[in-house]
Amino acid sequence: MSDERRKILDMLAQGKITAEEAEKLLAAVASPDSSGPEDSSAKPGFKYLRVLIEPGPGSETKDRVNVRVPFKLIRAGLKWAAFIPQTAQKQVNDALKEKGIEMDFSKIKPEDLEELVSHLNDLRVDVEGKEKIRIFCE
Amino acid sequence: MIPMIMKMRVYEEGKRPFRFFFPVILIWIIVAALMIVLLPLVLIAALVTWRNGPGKLLLISYPIFFTALFQLSGLHIEIGNLKRELLIHFE
Repeated sequence: MSDERRKILDMLAQGKITAEEAEKLLAAVASPDSSGPEDSSAKPGFKYLRVLIEPGPGSETKDRVNVRVPFKLIRAGLKWAAFIPQTAQKQVNDALKEKGIEMDFSKIKPEDLEELVSHLNDLRVDVEGKEKIRIFCE
Repeated sequence: MIPMIMKMRVYEEGKRPFRFFFPVILIWIIVAALMIVLLPLVLIAALVTWRNGPGKLLLISYPIFFTALFQLSGLHIEIGNLKRELLIHFE
Protein backbone atom coordinates (compact mmCIF):
# COMPACT_ATOMS: atom_id res chain seq x y z
CA MET A 1 0.00 0.00 0.00
CA SER A 2 1.36 3.42 -0.90
CA ASP A 3 2.08 6.07 1.72
CA GLU A 4 -0.64 8.34 0.37
CA ARG A 5 -3.32 5.66 0.66
CA ARG A 6 -2.17 4.74 4.17
CA LYS A 7 -2.28 8.41 5.25
CA ILE A 8 -5.79 8.82 3.84
CA LEU A 9 -7.00 5.69 5.65
CA ASP A 10 -5.32 6.85 8.87
CA MET A 11 -7.08 10.21 8.57
CA LEU A 12 -10.39 8.40 8.03
CA ALA A 13 -9.75 6.14 11.02
CA GLN A 14 -8.95 9.16 13.19
CA GLY A 15 -12.15 10.86 12.03
CA LYS A 16 -10.33 13.79 10.46
CA ILE A 17 -12.09 13.25 7.16
CA THR A 18 -15.42 11.73 6.19
CA ALA A 19 -15.83 8.51 4.21
CA GLU A 20 -16.86 10.56 1.15
CA GLU A 21 -13.77 12.74 1.33
CA ALA A 22 -11.61 9.65 1.76
CA GLU A 23 -13.19 8.08 -1.30
CA LYS A 24 -12.46 11.18 -3.38
CA LEU A 25 -8.89 11.34 -2.14
CA LEU A 26 -8.32 7.64 -2.83
CA ALA A 27 -9.72 8.05 -6.33
CA ALA A 28 -7.41 11.00 -6.92
CA VAL A 29 -4.42 9.01 -5.70
CA ALA A 30 -5.40 6.02 -7.82
CA SER A 31 -5.81 7.98 -11.07
CA PRO A 32 -2.82 7.76 -13.41
CA ASP A 33 -2.74 11.54 -13.79
CA SER A 34 -1.98 11.99 -10.12
CA SER A 35 1.37 10.24 -10.42
CA GLY A 36 2.84 13.60 -11.31
CA PRO A 37 3.20 15.26 -14.65
CA GLU A 38 6.25 14.25 -16.62
CA ASP A 39 6.52 17.69 -18.11
CA SER A 40 5.00 20.87 -16.86
CA SER A 41 2.69 21.29 -19.86
CA ALA A 42 0.88 18.03 -19.27
CA LYS A 43 -0.97 18.92 -16.11
CA PRO A 44 -3.83 16.52 -15.53
CA GLY A 45 -7.20 17.46 -16.92
CA PHE A 46 -6.12 20.26 -19.22
CA LYS A 47 -5.87 19.29 -22.85
CA TYR A 48 -7.31 22.27 -24.66
CA LEU A 49 -7.20 26.03 -24.65
CA ARG A 50 -10.70 27.38 -25.13
CA VAL A 51 -11.70 30.80 -26.37
CA LEU A 52 -15.41 31.56 -26.13
CA ILE A 53 -17.01 34.79 -27.20
CA GLU A 54 -20.75 34.97 -26.79
CA PRO A 55 -22.99 37.91 -27.59
CA GLY A 56 -24.07 39.92 -24.59
CA PRO A 57 -27.37 41.80 -24.22
CA GLY A 58 -25.94 44.93 -25.90
CA SER A 59 -24.37 43.13 -28.84
CA GLU A 60 -25.66 44.23 -32.22
CA THR A 61 -23.78 41.87 -34.50
CA LYS A 62 -24.25 38.80 -32.27
CA ASP A 63 -20.72 37.64 -33.04
CA ARG A 64 -19.85 34.24 -31.68
CA VAL A 65 -16.47 32.54 -31.44
CA ASN A 66 -15.87 29.07 -30.12
CA VAL A 67 -12.29 27.89 -30.52
CA ARG A 68 -10.72 24.83 -28.93
CA VAL A 69 -7.02 24.36 -29.55
CA PRO A 70 -5.14 21.31 -28.25
CA PHE A 71 -2.16 22.33 -26.09
CA LYS A 72 0.03 19.90 -27.97
CA LEU A 73 -0.81 21.69 -31.20
CA ILE A 74 0.18 25.04 -29.66
CA ARG A 75 3.52 23.57 -28.61
CA ALA A 76 4.05 22.03 -32.04
CA GLY A 77 3.07 25.29 -33.71
CA LEU A 78 5.58 27.25 -31.67
CA LYS A 79 8.35 25.20 -33.21
CA TRP A 80 7.42 26.74 -36.56
CA ALA A 81 8.63 30.05 -35.13
CA ALA A 82 12.12 28.91 -36.08
CA PHE A 83 11.12 29.27 -39.71
CA ILE A 84 10.20 32.94 -39.43
CA PRO A 85 12.85 34.83 -41.41
CA GLN A 86 14.91 37.60 -39.81
CA THR A 87 13.31 40.26 -42.00
CA ALA A 88 9.84 39.25 -40.85
CA GLN A 89 10.98 39.36 -37.23
CA LYS A 90 12.01 43.00 -37.73
CA GLN A 91 8.59 43.78 -39.19
CA VAL A 92 6.92 42.13 -36.20
CA ASN A 93 9.09 44.17 -33.84
CA ASP A 94 8.19 47.38 -35.66
CA ALA A 95 4.48 46.54 -35.61
CA LEU A 96 4.64 45.81 -31.89
CA LYS A 97 6.52 49.06 -31.30
CA GLU A 98 3.80 50.98 -33.12
CA LYS A 99 1.31 49.55 -30.63
CA GLY A 100 3.53 50.59 -27.73
CA ILE A 101 4.98 47.16 -27.01
CA GLU A 102 8.76 47.25 -26.74
CA MET A 103 9.75 43.69 -27.46
CA ASP A 104 12.50 42.08 -29.48
CA PHE A 105 10.95 39.07 -31.16
CA SER A 106 14.32 37.61 -32.12
CA LYS A 107 15.39 37.36 -28.47
CA ILE A 108 12.58 35.00 -27.55
CA LYS A 109 14.06 31.56 -27.08
CA PRO A 110 12.16 28.28 -27.62
CA GLU A 111 12.52 27.57 -23.89
CA ASP A 112 10.74 30.85 -23.06
CA LEU A 113 7.85 29.88 -25.30
CA GLU A 114 7.73 26.41 -23.72
CA GLU A 115 7.51 28.01 -20.30
CA LEU A 116 4.80 30.38 -21.48
CA VAL A 117 2.68 27.54 -22.84
CA SER A 118 3.21 25.41 -19.77
CA HIS A 119 1.83 28.22 -17.63
CA LEU A 120 -1.21 28.69 -19.85
CA ASN A 121 -2.79 25.94 -17.75
CA ASP A 122 -3.41 28.50 -15.04
CA LEU A 123 -4.87 31.08 -17.41
CA ARG A 124 -8.47 32.19 -16.99
CA VAL A 125 -9.91 35.34 -18.48
CA ASP A 126 -13.52 36.47 -18.05
CA VAL A 127 -14.65 39.73 -19.59
CA GLU A 128 -18.24 40.88 -19.73
CA GLY A 129 -19.24 43.77 -21.91
CA LYS A 130 -21.09 43.85 -25.18
CA GLU A 131 -19.71 40.36 -25.59
CA LYS A 132 -18.90 37.78 -22.97
CA ILE A 133 -15.31 36.70 -23.48
CA ARG A 134 -13.96 33.63 -21.74
CA ILE A 135 -10.49 32.17 -22.17
CA PHE A 136 -9.72 29.09 -20.15
CA CYS A 137 -8.22 25.61 -20.21
CA GLU A 138 -10.15 22.37 -20.07
CA MET B 1 -3.61 10.50 -32.79
CA ILE B 2 -3.61 11.70 -36.37
CA PRO B 3 -6.89 13.38 -37.37
CA MET B 4 -8.98 11.14 -39.58
CA ILE B 5 -11.95 13.30 -40.41
CA MET B 6 -12.46 17.00 -41.03
CA LYS B 7 -15.86 18.58 -40.69
CA MET B 8 -16.50 21.93 -42.27
CA ARG B 9 -19.63 24.03 -42.32
CA VAL B 10 -20.11 27.36 -44.03
CA TYR B 11 -23.31 29.30 -43.75
CA GLU B 12 -24.12 32.65 -45.27
CA GLU B 13 -27.45 34.39 -45.12
CA GLY B 14 -29.41 33.96 -48.31
CA LYS B 15 -27.19 31.17 -49.58
CA ARG B 16 -27.41 27.43 -49.33
CA PRO B 17 -25.44 26.09 -46.34
CA PHE B 18 -22.32 24.17 -47.27
CA ARG B 19 -21.45 21.10 -45.25
CA PHE B 20 -18.26 19.18 -45.83
CA PHE B 21 -17.32 15.90 -44.21
CA PHE B 22 -13.96 14.72 -45.47
CA PRO B 23 -11.72 11.78 -44.48
CA VAL B 24 -8.48 13.79 -44.30
CA ILE B 25 -6.55 10.59 -43.74
CA LEU B 26 -6.55 10.29 -47.55
CA ILE B 27 -4.74 13.62 -47.84
CA TRP B 28 -2.23 12.64 -45.16
CA ILE B 29 -1.40 9.47 -47.11
CA ILE B 30 -0.73 11.49 -50.26
CA VAL B 31 1.27 14.10 -48.31
CA ALA B 32 3.32 11.38 -46.60
CA ALA B 33 4.06 9.74 -49.95
CA LEU B 34 5.11 13.09 -51.44
CA MET B 35 7.35 13.85 -48.47
CA ILE B 36 9.03 10.46 -48.72
CA VAL B 37 9.67 11.06 -52.44
CA LEU B 38 11.10 14.50 -51.70
CA LEU B 39 13.18 13.34 -48.73
CA PRO B 40 16.41 12.63 -50.69
CA LEU B 41 16.25 16.09 -52.30
CA VAL B 42 15.60 17.73 -48.96
CA LEU B 43 18.54 15.88 -47.41
CA ILE B 44 20.84 16.99 -50.23
CA ALA B 45 19.61 20.58 -49.95
CA ALA B 46 20.10 20.45 -46.19
CA LEU B 47 23.66 19.21 -46.57
CA VAL B 48 24.52 21.80 -49.22
CA THR B 49 23.12 24.69 -47.20
CA TRP B 50 24.15 23.37 -43.78
CA ARG B 51 26.78 26.01 -43.00
CA ASN B 52 25.33 29.24 -44.30
CA GLY B 53 21.79 28.47 -45.33
CA PRO B 54 18.64 26.93 -43.94
CA GLY B 55 20.10 23.40 -43.81
CA LYS B 56 19.24 22.75 -40.18
CA LEU B 57 15.75 24.16 -40.64
CA LEU B 58 15.19 21.93 -43.64
CA LEU B 59 16.24 18.92 -41.66
CA ILE B 60 13.95 19.63 -38.73
CA SER B 61 11.02 20.61 -40.96
CA TYR B 62 9.96 16.99 -41.36
CA PRO B 63 9.57 16.11 -37.68
CA ILE B 64 8.01 19.50 -36.93
CA PHE B 65 5.48 19.07 -39.73
CA PHE B 66 4.48 15.60 -38.58
CA THR B 67 4.30 16.68 -34.93
CA ALA B 68 1.91 19.49 -35.85
CA LEU B 69 -0.11 17.17 -38.07
CA PHE B 70 -0.53 14.55 -35.35
CA GLN B 71 -1.73 17.16 -32.86
CA LEU B 72 -4.43 18.61 -35.07
CA SER B 73 -6.94 16.15 -33.68
CA GLY B 74 -9.45 17.92 -31.47
CA LEU B 75 -9.01 21.33 -33.07
CA HIS B 76 -12.34 23.11 -33.24
CA ILE B 77 -12.87 26.53 -34.78
CA GLU B 78 -16.35 28.02 -34.89
CA ILE B 79 -16.85 31.63 -35.83
CA GLY B 80 -20.10 33.26 -36.75
CA ASN B 81 -22.82 35.78 -36.24
CA LEU B 82 -26.43 36.08 -37.35
CA LYS B 83 -25.51 36.36 -41.01
CA ARG B 84 -22.65 33.96 -41.50
CA GLU B 85 -20.94 31.07 -39.80
CA LEU B 86 -17.82 28.98 -40.29
CA LEU B 87 -16.99 25.73 -38.53
CA ILE B 88 -13.87 23.63 -38.91
CA HIS B 89 -13.39 20.56 -36.76
CA PHE B 90 -10.78 17.82 -36.83
CA GLU B 91 -11.35 14.47 -35.17
